[in-house]
Amino acid sequence: MDGKGKERHADDLFKEFKETSITEFFRKNKTHLGYSGSIRSLTTVIHEMVTNSLDACEEAGIQPDISVAIKKLGNDHYLIRSEDNGPGIPIRHISGVFGKMLAGTKFHRNIQLRGQQGIGVAGVTLFSQITTGKPIKIKTSTGKGKVNEIALMIDIAKNKADILSNNEYSQYWRGTEIECELKGVNFTLREQGPFEYLRRTAIANPHAKITFTDPEGRRTIFERSTEKVPKPPVEIKPHPKGTEVDDLVNMAKITDGRKVSSFLTSTFSRMSNAKVKEIQKIINEGDAPFDLNKSPKKLTWAECEQIINAIKEIKFLAPPTEGLQPIGEEQIRKAILNILDPEFEAILTRNPTAHSGGVPFQVEVAIAYGGQAGRNIGDGTKVEIMRFANRTPLLFDSGACAITKSVNSVEWKRYGIKDFDNSPTTILINVVSTYIPYTSAGKQSIADDEDIMKEIRMALMEVGRKYQIFYSRQKRDMEKEVRKQILMRYSTELAAGLANITGKKEEEILKKLNTLVLEKLKLEDELDTLEEDEEEEIEDDSGIKDPEEGMVSGAENGT
Amino acid sequence: MERDQIIKRIDELGNSIMKEIDNMESPRMSIPQRNLNNIKFNKAKNLLELGDKKSSRSFMNIAHSKKFMQTVLIAGKCKELVERNKTASIRELYYQLKHAITDSKENTFDDQSESDPLIVDLETMLRTLREELHLKADDKGTLIGNIVIEDSGDFIDCSRLGRSGLSIPSIVEHYKFHDVKADYVLVIETGAMFDRLVEEKYQQKNNCIMVSTKGQAARGCRRLVHRLNHDLGLPVIMFSDGDPWGYYIYSVMKAGSMALAHESRRLGTPQMKFVGMTMDDIDTYDLQKVTEKLKDIDKKRISELLRYPWFQKKEWVKQLNLMSEKGLRIEQQALASKSLEFVAEEYLPQKIEKSQLLP
Repeated sequence: MDGKGKERHADDLFKEFKETSITEFFRKNKTHLGYSGSIRSLTTVIHEMVTNSLDACEEAGIQPDISVAIKKLGNDHYLIRSEDNGPGIPIRHISGVFGKMLAGTKFHRNIQLRGQQGIGVAGVTLFSQITTGKPIKIKTSTGKGKVNEIALMIDIAKNKADILSNNEYSQYWRGTEIECELKGVNFTLREQGPFEYLRRTAIANPHAKITFTDPEGRRTIFERSTEKVPKPPVEIKPHPKGTEVDDLVNMAKITDGRKVSSFLTSTFSRMSNAKVKEIQKIINEGDAPFDLNKSPKKLTWAECEQIINAIKEIKFLAPPTEGLQPIGEEQIRKAILNILDPEFEAILTRNPTAHSGGVPFQVEVAIAYGGQAGRNIGDGTKVEIMRFANRTPLLFDSGACAITKSVNSVEWKRYGIKDFDNSPTTILINVVSTYIPYTSAGKQSIADDEDIMKEIRMALMEVGRKYQIFYSRQKRDMEKEVRKQILMRYSTELAAGLANITGKKEEEILKKLNTLVLEKLKLEDELDTLEEDEEEEIEDDSGIKDPEEGMVSGAENGT
Repeated sequence: MERDQIIKRIDELGNSIMKEIDNMESPRMSIPQRNLNNIKFNKAKNLLELGDKKSSRSFMNIAHSKKFMQTVLIAGKCKELVERNKTASIRELYYQLKHAITDSKENTFDDQSESDPLIVDLETMLRTLREELHLKADDKGTLIGNIVIEDSGDFIDCSRLGRSGLSIPSIVEHYKFHDVKADYVLVIETGAMFDRLVEEKYQQKNNCIMVSTKGQAARGCRRLVHRLNHDLGLPVIMFSDGDPWGYYIYSVMKAGSMALAHESRRLGTPQMKFVGMTMDDIDTYDLQKVTEKLKDIDKKRISELLRYPWFQKKEWVKQLNLMSEKGLRIEQQALASKSLEFVAEEYLPQKIEKSQLLP
C-alpha cells in the first residue's frame, strides 16, 4: 500500500526534525503538514483548533459548543479566534499542547482519531509566529475557579514553549479560547474554505454546536441535532495482517517483551501462542531460520521481514471492531435534516470489515436530495460530495480520492438521477478506521484500496435504490398533481356547459365534479401504493460502470 | 328534424353525463368512429356509410379531458342557438366559446381547428345534421346556369348573374328551384377552369348548370348538387384534374366522405359520372408535353385510393394504375395548350356527346 510508504516518510521526518531547526523543518514540510497555499493554510488552522476542541469534549463527555470567528486585518492578514466549552487545559499541559511540535503524535497509536490529520495545534502557534512574529493567546480554565490567560511562542531552537505572560485570576468559567494572527492566508467561501469545513464538521458531529463568524461579520450557527456525545474511541491492538515491516521494527524497539514470541502475542490482536508456533514453523522452513525466543530488541530488518511474510501465509481471526466509532445512521439523519433540510435522504452504515488484510474499517454513506443539498454554483446546482475520514472533512485532492472515484463509478442514471453532476444532491461518505490509507502525507484523499472502494460502492448502490423508489414516487405524485390541476380547471368549464344544457345550478355541478375527481384520484393512489410495495422487493446490484470512466483529475492541494 | 327533437337530444346527452357524475362514475360520451375501420361502402347504393364502432371519450382520461369539456360547451351553445332560432357560422361558434378558463392562462379553445372536428363529433353523436344544430360552414363554391332559385322569398335567375355566378352558401335546405331548363349539371374542380368555361359561354351553348367546387367540395356545394340530381333528376358530370386529388374530390361528391359518412345519403350523388381528365386523354389528345411528374406525396395518395373499397371499380383501378405507370398527372388547364377555346368547343362537348364517361 502506497499510503504506508508515505507514512514511513513522515516518521523519518520526525527524526530529521530533532536534528534540524524546527522552522526549517516546518518550511520544508509545510505541504505535508497542511500549510501550503493561502486558502489551505487558513483551513488547516481552523481544523487544528476545532479538532482539539471536539476531541477534548468527547473525551470529557461534554456537548461541544464551539465558536470560530475570522476577522480581516489586512490584505492577507487575519485574526482567528476559537472558543469552546471543553474541559479546559490544565496549566501544566499548556506548553506541551501549544508549544511542542509533534508532542502527542498520533502517528502510531492504533486508534481512530480525528487528529490523524495535521500536526496538532502547536503547528498553529508556529505558523502564526513565523508569519506575524506574534504569540498565540490562550485563555483556559478547567472550571475550578481559576482562569489562565497565556501568551505563548515556541522556542524554535529548543522545540519548547516559551510562555511570555501568564495572567491568572479567579472566575468560574470552563473552556478554552485561542486567538492568533496569521499572514499569507486568504478567506474564501469556496469548497476548500473554513465555512465549508465547519459546515461539514457540523454534519459529521451532530452533537456539536458550531458558530462561525466570517470576515464580513456574517454569523452562521450550526445547531446541534443530537444531545448524545459519542463515546471516545478505544485504542486497540493492531491486527497482524495490517502490519508492515517497518512498523514491526519500530514496535520491537520500544517493547518491554523479553522474547519475540511474547512481544508478538502482547502487541497484536488475534495473535495466540498457536499462531506464534505457526510463524516459527514457517521461519524454520525458510532460508535463514531463527528462534522466536530471542530478544525483540535484537530483531534485524530481514528477520522482521520474515515474520511479516509468515503472517501473510497464516489465517487470523478478523480484527475486533470495538475501536471503530461511526457517526451512526440516526445521528447522520438528524444532522442532514438539520443542515440540508432535503426532500429525501437515505443513510447507511455498513458493518465493519477489514482492508489490507486486517485493518478494521467501516463505511457510512448518506444521500440527500433537494432542499439545501447540492452545491450552489451561480444559478445552478452541482452535486456535492462530502468526504470524511474519521469524521474529519477532506476538502482537498478530491480527484485522487477513493471516495470520489467510487461515487463516479456508480451509474446514477440507473437510479433515476438523470443529470447527476448538476442535481441538487449531496453525497456524504465517512470512512472510519484505525488506519486510513491516504494517498499522500497531506492526508486529504484516501488511496484507492480495493476493499474500501468495494464497501463504498455497495453502500452507494443501496442508498441509490432507496433514492430510486423515492424518485419514482415523487415523479408519480407530480404527474398526479398536474392531472388533478388540469381536471379541476376543466371542471369549472364543464360545469358551466352542463348547467347550460341541463338548467341545473353550475356551483352544484362543480361541487359534485370536484368530489368525483378527488375521489377517483384517491382510488388510484391506493392502487399505486399496492404496486409500490411490490416494487420494493426488486433488488438490482449491477449499478456499477467501468471504474476507469468518469474519474476526475483533481488539482493537487486545491490551492 | 324538429327543433324540439334536437333540443331533446342535446338534453339527453347532458342528463346522461349528469347521471354519471351523480353516481360518482367517470363521465363519458360515446362517439361513432369516423375512420376507415368504421366506414362501409354500400355497393348497391354507391355510398359510404358509417358503421357501429364507437370510441369512448372520458373526462377522467387526461388525454380526453379537454375535448370532453369542449364538446359539452359546443353542445350547450348549440342548444342556445336552436332555442333562439339563430344560426352561427362554425367560426362564430368558435369565437362565442373561446375564453380564458377561470384562474388560468389557458383558453377553452385556442384555434378553430379544435372546435371544427368536435362539431362533427356532436353531429354524429346526436344523429343530427349541422344545419339542424343551427351551425353553418363558410360559403364555398359557385353556380351559374339556366335555373331560377328562390331564396327566402327572393328569386335568383342564375343565368343572369354575369360572369360571377351564385356563391353557394353552406345551407341550401331552404332553396326552391324554378324554371329549370338545363339538361345536366357540370361540376368543375378549379375556379380557373370554371371562369374559362363561363367566358366561352359553355353553359349557354350546352344548356347546362355549371358548379365549381373550388377544390374539395364544401357541404353546401355537395348538398346542392345532390338536390339538383335528386330533386330535379338532372344528370351530373364531374370535370377535375387528372390526379389522385381530383379523383378523390369526385369520389366525395359521388359516394360521400369518411368524415361525413353519416351524411352521405344527403350529400352524395351516386349517379354522378366523370368526364376527365383521364389518363387516356393524355394519348387521345396528344398532351404528353403538358403533363407533370408525380411527386412522392401523389404516389402515396394513389396507393391509398387503390385501397379504398369505393375505388374498386375496374375503370378507376385502371386509371390509377395507368397514372402510376406513367408517373404523370395532368391538369384541366393543360387543355389550353391546344387553344383557349379547345376545352369548351371540342373536348367537353365531344366527350359528353359520345358519352365517354367513367362511372
